[in-house]
Amino acid sequence: MGPDVVNHPLSRADGSTVLSNGLYTVIAGVNGPIEVQRRDELPEEAAIEVNVRPASGVGGICERWMETVLQSALKSIMLVHMFPRTLIQITMQITKEPSIKLRRSLYDFALMPTLFNAAITCLVDGGLPLATTSTAALAIISPDDQVVLDPQEKEIASCKSIHAMAFSANGDQILTQSSGDLNHEDWGKVADMLKQACIAAIGPAGEDTAMSNGVVQPEPWLRQHLEDEAKSAVRGKVKIEAQGRSREIRSSSAANSKDENQPDSAT
Amino acid sequence: MADTAILLPGEEVLSESLPKSKKGTLTLGPGLRHIPPSTILSTTSGTLHVDHKKAALWIEHAHGRYLPAVGDLVIAQIHHSSAEAYACSLTPNTPFALLGQLAFEGANKKTRPQLKAGDLVYARIVKASKWEDTEIECYNSSTGKAEGMGPLSGGMAFDVSPAFARRLMMGTDKNGKQKGEVVVLEEVGEKVRFEVAVGRNGKVWVDSGSVKETVVIGRLLKEADESGLDVEAQRKAIKKALKEVGK
Repeated sequence: MGPDVVNHPLSRADGSTVLSNGLYTVIAGVNGPIEVQRRDELPEEAAIEVNVRPASGVGGICERWMETVLQSALKSIMLVHMFPRTLIQITMQITKEPSIKLRRSLYDFALMPTLFNAAITCLVDGGLPLATTSTAALAIISPDDQVVLDPQEKEIASCKSIHAMAFSANGDQILTQSSGDLNHEDWGKVADMLKQACIAAIGPAGEDTAMSNGVVQPEPWLRQHLEDEAKSAVRGKVKIEAQGRSREIRSSSAANSKDENQPDSAT
Repeated sequence: MADTAILLPGEEVLSESLPKSKKGTLTLGPGLRHIPPSTILSTTSGTLHVDHKKAALWIEHAHGRYLPAVGDLVIAQIHHSSAEAYACSLTPNTPFALLGQLAFEGANKKTRPQLKAGDLVYARIVKASKWEDTEIECYNSSTGKAEGMGPLSGGMAFDVSPAFARRLMMGTDKNGKQKGEVVVLEEVGEKVRFEVAVGRNGKVWVDSGSVKETVVIGRLLKEADESGLDVEAQRKAIKKALKEVGK
């Protein structure tokens, strides 16, 4: 089950989304390319500024740290060279947080995937150029050494270690943050699972990863959200072809491709 | 009906969906990038549109900031004047576009329009580069004619989304049907006299002589944009709005 995404809630920002999952709700807005301050100006590429605003109070050291982590992750997938000497400004406001009090480090790690996904969806909404589609996911290792994807609040509070990772559509790792008591094998196991979850969220992927071992795949929430948006943008104006040939070829073995490839009945 | 497919950022446009051109060249529009030798990737999500006649393809995307492109007609606001050029803003928080002091029809050193800060002009973009300032002009520099461009006096400017502005500028097809599916201007024009200028930067300037009517037209346009009204809903809203101003 993917997060709920509301597109373009802020009319004055160039792109914006509200993204909410079981743990957090984040409003993200992006403005760009806009004029950059002289001291932040980069001669060959756009500067990216990430602002994280906590649910209450003003941001502190933890928010600054998350901003730098997200900034460097986003920079690796945005086509910054297309807008030299400009600024792309992403602001994220947390509006809902877990009802139980989490330890600060757990809180930050659990928040990271939500922030990353909110940033990605608002960048896409704002039409800013991305090299690849990418999503983040959260996993924990429970005290009985089980890997739990998309954990609940209580599971996070009692976890052995927590992992936030982001992968692109072709499986490249964009971001990895882990904390807690873990060894190298645990990390590898978690990374594999998160990679599959991230690729599944982007939708019909290569046959080698997505459909292996008969694992039930979660719905590709990111693809569904972006496709719904694209459809509503052209509603009534053009007829959408059966989602393009490229999809049919690549996803021919994917069981969930069947209903997606139906023409949109609304158009 | 155009055939369209939905792409996500970073997805490849397959070679069989590319238009065949006689010259063997392709024109890539917004949302696409070319990686030599022959890979075309999308950079944003949206529907892929192909124009086989012009061998062009682009991605249609609803939101985002207006990016200047040569040949676009825009509504610019004068920010300040310098010796050679007016500095104009096309979108908020971006570097100013330059409008030459003499880039108007029939302008010379002695007679040229005196524009103040805040004045609006209808202009065409003549230079748009990521390394230099954007340049605009209010006449066709090869013929010296204004072609409808120039200072906009009176009236009001309304902000719409760049995608809606583009729909307004699509014009009509052979059967007189609106290609962009926006009928506000035509329908209101049957009852009320007004002047209008549409800028690709998401600005619409309306002047009907009376403030009341101008505001009604502007509000109808914004409503059609923000609520995504279809043709029927637009007609309904127009009827209601015009009744309120007694037309």
